[in-house]
Amino acid sequence: MSYLNNPAIVMDNGTGLTKLGFAGNDSPSWIFPTAIATSQGSQSTSSSKKLDTSMNMSNTNYSSSTTATGATSTGTGTNKNSYYAKSTSATAFDNLSSNVLLSNNLAGKRGTEDLDFYIGNEALIASQGPSYSLSYPIKHGQIENWDHMERFWENSIFKYLRVEPEDHYFLLTEPPLNPPENREQVAEIFFESFNCAGLYIAVQAVLALAASWTSSKVIDRSLTGTVIDSGDGVTHVIPVAEGYVIGSAIKNIPIAGRDITLFIQSLLRERGEQDTSLKTAERIKQEYCYVCPDIVKEFNKFDRNPEKFAQFVVENKERTSKKIIDIGYERFLAPEIFFNPEIASSDFLTPLPTLVDQTIQACPIDVRKGLYNNIVLSGGSTMFKDFGRRLQRDLKSIVNNRIAQNERLTGTKSTGVDVSVISHRKQRNAVWFGGSLLAQTAEFRGYCHTKQDYEEYGPEIVRNFSLFNMV
Amino acid sequence: MPAYHSTFPYDPNTDRLIGNFVIMPIKTKFRGPSYPCNSDYDIIDECLDLFRPNSFFKNFEIKTPSDRLLIYGILFINQCLATIQPHMSYNDAVKALVNLSLNHFVLPGTPGFPLNSTYQVPIEDPQQMALLKSYLAQFRQELAMRLIERVYTDPKLGVEAEQDKTKNSPSKYWLSFTKRKFMNKSL
Repeated sequence: MSYLNNPAIVMDNGTGLTKLGFAGNDSPSWIFPTAIATSQGSQSTSSSKKLDTSMNMSNTNYSSSTTATGATSTGTGTNKNSYYAKSTSATAFDNLSSNVLLSNNLAGKRGTEDLDFYIGNEALIASQGPSYSLSYPIKHGQIENWDHMERFWENSIFKYLRVEPEDHYFLLTEPPLNPPENREQVAEIFFESFNCAGLYIAVQAVLALAASWTSSKVIDRSLTGTVIDSGDGVTHVIPVAEGYVIGSAIKNIPIAGRDITLFIQSLLRERGEQDTSLKTAERIKQEYCYVCPDIVKEFNKFDRNPEKFAQFVVENKERTSKKIIDIGYERFLAPEIFFNPEIASSDFLTPLPTLVDQTIQACPIDVRKGLYNNIVLSGGSTMFKDFGRRLQRDLKSIVNNRIAQNERLTGTKSTGVDVSVISHRKQRNAVWFGGSLLAQTAEFRGYCHTKQDYEEYGPEIVRNFSLFNMV
Repeated sequence: MPAYHSTFPYDPNTDRLIGNFVIMPIKTKFRGPSYPCNSDYDIIDECLDLFRPNSFFKNFEIKTPSDRLLIYGILFINQCLATIQPHMSYNDAVKALVNLSLNHFVLPGTPGFPLNSTYQVPIEDPQQMALLKSYLAQFRQELAMRLIERVYTDPKLGVEAEQDKTKNSPSKYWLSFTKRKFMNKSL
């Protein structure tokens, strides 16, 4: 019973990034792309050996040069080792590429093909060489390639987290509307391949709601609310009532982080800036963009306050040449595509506030007030300054117009609807953080399915999980 | 939120209509048929303010007659910016834009104008067409000159700072809008 005091492990595998860590922490210990590089066929054995020897040599060099600072080349996940550094991007990795690959001991010694793979940032580097091919096992939030995913988890647990799965409970996340068969498959892998002590699979949107409890605006800890989850690929609007996702009302828009980056890139190109790479556009997005109340006024503000224009310096790896990139209107135009999709795309025209309103209107009438009351943001693309404020203002005006129209037509007085959008500091990794909050509670183990349950009843037990009832 | 519309209401007492094209007063020293304007902010200022945001929109619903003038102004600004080359001096730009605004241009309603489905003007009435032509010439000159003042303002100093615009080069932030086409049209 050694696992009783060990913290649970929280794993949030997203389409773009995987967040790994221990329950009770307030941020994930590792964030890296959900990518796996596997060796390709027969030529791989010889070339990977070569790679291994060269790696070992440079590893020695590396460790001898850094012993003074006390770091070892295969350090246990400190930030000195750039592979373990936290990433906020699913694509950027070139700051790591000059380093050598971390030696994957198993692959080198045994020479077995199916152990010869890398995950995360290492996978991105390995795939630049000839003998590895890169794949993303999760597409649109759902696991597509189970073999790759199993190996991805294996490395996550043994190489990154460095834990014994039989000593820990696991909290995994799933997208809304995940088929129960997928859960069973996950349970088979976790109980049979990894022999984990206990398992809980939580819906991402519910965890994002739980994460919002840290905000001072939240008074009652209910699991009712609308979650706006915007990552790299899609933006979902998910209504949750008492911990249950209202599946029929979920809506999504094909506008998210990647589209914003591409839009910034196109604006930079139109202006003829010196460097218009995706990486530059992504950095500009993360560091300079904000949401404005009105774009006409914002253009005039730029005319009056020249300090609104910013500059961004791109250095090459050797720091020999510098490129200066001027940043202009994209600071506020880029996030504007959530509120005015027309400016960037021609096939999708519904603004996010309208979509949120449609989602809530599609829900049962008795939960709508609660859904308007508690709109929670989650994911990196909701991190723009004043994103929540603008959403709240636009949504409020839609709702108030409807109430006014209704009052005019029926002649009865409405009690009004309170619209409130909650943004909080844990927004970027809200799903992971919500998982960490719930998994550290004393009740968590009671809600999990254990190894004994699994052996007694089989994988179908994971079709049902009891909800956290925190109220 | 759709594209921005003109805020000037059509006033039948002061504004003349040619077909559904409205002749609104503008502040200008160029000679022409426009009535003197008695407010600080006229339709030309509005065109210049709305040009940048509206350039991103492909759809635009015409709500008032002044929206038609706004569309014409925005499309003309786009044409002006395409004429100004990145390294053109202030004086050369003034010359180029004066030529552009006065040289032979296509009147709404006549063949070759891109938005004939929305502009209905009486082509058969030569008197009205002459009035339209002289008003548009006046409108184009005034708009081009005010545009140059904005384009040759150094964004690093701001509009309020005293600066010698003849020494500046055109702002790349304005020129970048050349590639955007409001309503997918150009004059």
